[in-house]
Amino acid sequence: MTKANRTTCSVMLSPAMKIYELIDAAPMLLSLFSRLNIRLPFGDISVEEMCQRDGYNTSLFLMLCAMHIDLRHRPDAEELTEDMLPEVIAYLRASHRYYAEQMLPHTALHLEEILSHCDDLSARVLRRFYDDYSRYITTHFEEEEREIFTIIDSHSECDTNFALFDMPHTDIDDRSNDIASLIIKSLPESAPTPLRCAMLKHVYALRDDLRRHSNIETHLLRPLVEKRLKRK
Amino acid sequence: MKRVSVAIVEPSPIILEGVSAVVSHSPALRVVCTAASVSELVPLVRTADVDVVIAAVGLARDIEGATELQAVPIVGMQSAIVEPNALRRFVAVATLYTAEEELHRIICDAADTPTEHNYADSHELSERERDVLILVAKGLTNKEIASELNISPHTVISHRKNIVHKTGIRSVAGLTVYAVLNKLIDSDKL
Repeated sequence: MTKANRTTCSVMLSPAMKIYELIDAAPMLLSLFSRLNIRLPFGDISVEEMCQRDGYNTSLFLMLCAMHIDLRHRPDAEELTEDMLPEVIAYLRASHRYYAEQMLPHTALHLEEILSHCDDLSARVLRRFYDDYSRYITTHFEEEEREIFTIIDSHSECDTNFALFDMPHTDIDDRSNDIASLIIKSLPESAPTPLRCAMLKHVYALRDDLRRHSNIETHLLRPLVEKRLKRK
Repeated sequence: MKRVSVAIVEPSPIILEGVSAVVSHSPALRVVCTAASVSELVPLVRTADVDVVIAAVGLARDIEGATELQAVPIVGMQSAIVEPNALRRFVAVATLYTAEEELHRIICDAADTPTEHNYADSHELSERERDVLILVAKGLTNKEIASELNISPHTVISHRKNIVHKTGIRSVAGLTVYAVLNKLIDSDKL
């Protein structure tokens, strides 16, 4: 076993697994199915059969599942093949849409419910903070699509500057934690606890999903691009 | 070059054996003693010349109570979820998934780390920290804050670290919201 894949032992999935078994083992994968637009019901089909049915690369699909289940999971470098690149880009684009069209607006709805119980000033500053956070994330996604994905799509030989995006990933994580801290520690007591809990659940789900997203960009997209550049 | 002497305290024999083996792979490190509990470790540390202790984070409370360990840098080995406050006793925290070379680096860095603790136990901001927070929220740089409060930029950085630790908020925008919600600055300052 190589050093690179020592950490992969925490998740073991196989193409023969039934889709039901996969979801039952890790219900959090439902959001992955949703953003990949995989249709339900699955009946009793296996992962491999589903991938064949819907035209997905089975190895890549299992890598994405494993990276969703465990943040520490790293794909085995030998399993990465260049033909995975378009599918990875398509997945990342779908994820961007999922955040922009579903997760961020849903979290905003929960925030608005809380803000209706707060004084005007608290509501104003918190709304502005969340709007800035939301805008920062969507702008970052747009930049990624423009500056990285387009270059990869075009098979351009110029070096893709991934380092450019390391700072925003850390910033996004910090800001997600900041929202949670503010809701836990500094909201006026007039904000009801059940609403705070619902909001926090969404904030943490969003933060964790963004971490997985960033992890997939760093440990799946980047090695794939580097592999292609080496060949050239 | 002198090798760094490491003591390991870990209740799980399997983890203890594994960490000990991984540490021993580095020519810069040597394991001088191991123990299953802090009470078992303390007399061993007294007799051995220990530079760094690696301890299961779950033992944080026992470590707090061991005055004999105060002068030794301690690296936490995280195999359980513990409250973040408990992690403050450790100069660094590794996990069971930390790569071997990374663990070696963490231990060597820890050996050079002074063991004094800058964080107060209270999560309440001191008066000076509140002053710094207000100026951060107003958008001043560290240099400007130092000049305004007549303190060194280094002290400003130290206050800012404490503010982040106590509030749990890192971004300037988040600190501004914190300052408003806690009525440290007026809305007209926004």
